[in-house]
Amino acid sequence: MAHAPVAARPRVGVVKFASCDGCQLTLLDLEDELLSVVEHFDIVDFPEATSARSAGPYDVLFVEGSVSEPAHLERIVELRRRTRFLVTIGACATAGGIQALRNWGDHDAFRRGVYSNPEWVASLARSTPVSEHVTVDAELRGCPIDPGQLVELLTALTTGRRPQLRDEAVCMECKRSGVVCVMVSKGIPCLGQVTQTGCGAICPRFGRGCYGCFGPREQANAAGLTRHLQMAGDRPREEIGRLFAGFTAYSEPFRSMVTELGGARTGRGTTTTAAEPAPRGGKA
Amino acid sequence: MVIPVSRSSRGSRPTIEGPGFLARADLQVLFDLLREDGRQLIGPTVADGAIIYDDITSVDQLPRGWGDEQSPGRYRLRRRGDERLFGYVVGPTAWKKWTFPALIPLTHSTHDGHKVSFEPEQATPPKLAFLGARACELAALGVQDRVLIGTEFIDPDYMVRRANVFVVAVQCTTSASTCFCTSMGTGPEVTDGFDLSLTELDAGFLVDSGTPAGRAVLERLPLRPASAAEQYGVAATVAAVRARIGDPVPTDGIHDRLLAQLDHPRWAQVAERCITCGNCTLACPTCFCTTLTQTTDLTGKNAVASRSWDSCFSPGFAKVAGGSFRARPRDRYRQWLTHKFATWWDQFGTSGCVGCGRCITWCPVGIDVRDELNAIAPPVPLSPESRLVEPVAATPNEFVTARVVNTKAETADTTTLTLTGVDPAFSHGSTGQFAMVALPGFPPLPISISRFLTDGIELTIRGAGPATRAMCALQVGDQVGLRGPLGNNWPLDRAVGRDLVIVTGGIGLAPLRPVLHAIVADRRRFGDVKLFYGARTPADLIYRDELERWGKRDGIDVSLTVDRAGPDWSGRVGIVTHLFDQAAWDGSNMIAFVCGPERMMQATSTTLAGRGVSASRIHVTLERHMECGIGLCGHCQMGKYFVCRDGPVFSIAQLGDTFGREGI
Repeated sequence: MAHAPVAARPRVGVVKFASCDGCQLTLLDLEDELLSVVEHFDIVDFPEATSARSAGPYDVLFVEGSVSEPAHLERIVELRRRTRFLVTIGACATAGGIQALRNWGDHDAFRRGVYSNPEWVASLARSTPVSEHVTVDAELRGCPIDPGQLVELLTALTTGRRPQLRDEAVCMECKRSGVVCVMVSKGIPCLGQVTQTGCGAICPRFGRGCYGCFGPREQANAAGLTRHLQMAGDRPREEIGRLFAGFTAYSEPFRSMVTELGGARTGRGTTTTAAEPAPRGGKA
Repeated sequence: MVIPVSRSSRGSRPTIEGPGFLARADLQVLFDLLREDGRQLIGPTVADGAIIYDDITSVDQLPRGWGDEQSPGRYRLRRRGDERLFGYVVGPTAWKKWTFPALIPLTHSTHDGHKVSFEPEQATPPKLAFLGARACELAALGVQDRVLIGTEFIDPDYMVRRANVFVVAVQCTTSASTCFCTSMGTGPEVTDGFDLSLTELDAGFLVDSGTPAGRAVLERLPLRPASAAEQYGVAATVAAVRARIGDPVPTDGIHDRLLAQLDHPRWAQVAERCITCGNCTLACPTCFCTTLTQTTDLTGKNAVASRSWDSCFSPGFAKVAGGSFRARPRDRYRQWLTHKFATWWDQFGTSGCVGCGRCITWCPVGIDVRDELNAIAPPVPLSPESRLVEPVAATPNEFVTARVVNTKAETADTTTLTLTGVDPAFSHGSTGQFAMVALPGFPPLPISISRFLTDGIELTIRGAGPATRAMCALQVGDQVGLRGPLGNNWPLDRAVGRDLVIVTGGIGLAPLRPVLHAIVADRRRFGDVKLFYGARTPADLIYRDELERWGKRDGIDVSLTVDRAGPDWSGRVGIVTHLFDQAAWDGSNMIAFVCGPERMMQATSTTLAGRGVSASRIHVTLERHMECGIGLCGHCQMGKYFVCRDGPVFSIAQLGDTFGREGI
């Protein structure tokens, strides 16, 4: 983590891999701060916002999306080489994304099932987070990322301080803002306890359970939550497995829960049960 | 009770000295009076499936007819079927939300060139009225007062917010399954810490004041004197609440009990269930830990430091550059529980828990702090009592007498005497204690009490010298002199919830026999209990009937051995330490009580230590020359201890180097 400003007016790039572009749009959605951001950062590469292109080097590079195609493997390494401070943004880049559910299924069957000419599709058997391939300096979690956390990271970069991205449960945000616990008061299963905060507890605020899009927090006791849901809620294993099988399913310990309980659906509408995800690729 | 009524000098409305009665239809008058005083009203209202505290202006916003059902990890609203406005128990909100907000700015700072400046934030809180604070919540406000403004350094933000609050308390007329104010001594009766108090009846409220400010408001309410029947009815209702709650957490001595269990295996067990989400701490009305957050603008010149609620359950809470001081979830659960119920006393002279039950209801996985406390630091006493009674005839020159009512020859040289007519103190003695036993002309001798009876004790004596032989020769009807019970006891309370191993030989079983009686009387509180017992020959085994009963009926794993067998012995042969060495057992959750010759105890300790039983969990009872039994004569010194007074039971950790060393 940077402890001095990255540069006087840092050269910033925004790039994407396998993703929907929603996270990088969060940068454009910073309406109040946008002019000030452009003043303090030199945006050299950001296809969603400008036709200007740069091959780097970058002082700060925001990387969206998961590593999902053979070409990604080389590209991420090359980008890392040209970047001082690399930030992954969003569930795809930090956890492999929703597309990582294929990691539990049959890659070729998916391709044959979806595309009439599967041989034209170059994709990897597994969708993986960027951190599985290169060193990452900071992560902004979520699907999409939180604008407040993005501003916090940007302001921290300009002063060289440690960005305050708390590693605590979503529950803390619920309690601080007076949201009544949906699990206790309504019996709705909620991943807030094992999920890293940062979203402002949006889902519980609207009366629904957290589905973990910010991914597991440090030492997340997913096994303990699972046992409780099984015993107290009398829920079937696969239903609990499906709770974890969301945008960040491929992050441990959610990954183990999905593998153990089932819940990652295959292309044919059947459900994998206790299948191991496909073998891990080597780290570049 | 007669309510004195006097005429107010200011008008014709009677000034009511005692509690008055306010019709339910007139409660809005109280709302309006408080608002006229410039106060913002905070009170109960139904939102998001719960009764929360929020801004209210009208009686119509109160949870009329609503009650709640609460159990570990579960909260549901329910219709009461009546018109009660306060017929519920405490919900998810705590009043600290207003006196100690979840997030406040603390300091604004700027950085301009070489110049820095810091400007403290000055809170200008609104005047508030809390409507509906329960007894446990008043206690919680008192606890935070102690923590935040009751010591040398004060929290200025809390001070101004707290001073601006007018408290309208409501006595509980119902309870939840999660309540334990009775155990914590905070409720259900409202006794202090309020300006006005209300107790709800079918048609209205009994109103009383607790401060001059409260009295001033009370005098402006349309009250009539409360009838004796109404007052009696209120007292009876609150008493019924108390009875319904019972005493779920016996708190007597909980500070010491809990701190004595820092290595209890239950910490790890509860940590498997605990998600360390921190809900308990943020729902708690007394938890006060916070964290500072720095934010800057893009220029980097302007910064704000904010304070927000933090939790000792979050991984970052005790982190430094090298890692966290409480890295494991079990460490964090232990920190929280021991702080609430023990170390809070040391820091602030009060419990950190008020028994409101929020941490139980709002734990998403339903961990019940009462169960954890009772399992980790179970209430004493066990039977027989583990607290030590005052001895009788404590000084060496006096004795009380007792009469022999039964004698039993255990072996050729060992006899058990049953004594009755003893002072009741002896019956209330504790396992491992001894009596000084005297016959005229013989030196008084320390003899372990081998059984506690409701009206007497038993002593098992081996005739090894003239005095003991004289005692063994006593007949039914003979008297002896006694002093005691003296010395300390086996730490049976530490054995609760653990596996216990007892290793002993010969007459060494005598001081451990009451331990076995206590376990058999309350067997389910202990894990595996193993007894390894050896004697020279089969004929030297004492308590043979009981050994058989303990093994066959009482769930004790009894292993016997003899040094020399006869033709009638089909059991093991060899010394007890070998028997113990070779046995299969797991020391991870074990506590050990050992009695025998010092060399045997040392060998046993070495075996135990080798299998992971820490020195603080290995207890031995020592024999020394004793004459006075109370640490005056000096004979029984061992290092820094008098064995009679500080022992005879010691942990190996206490003894350190001195244990087993020759010539000490």
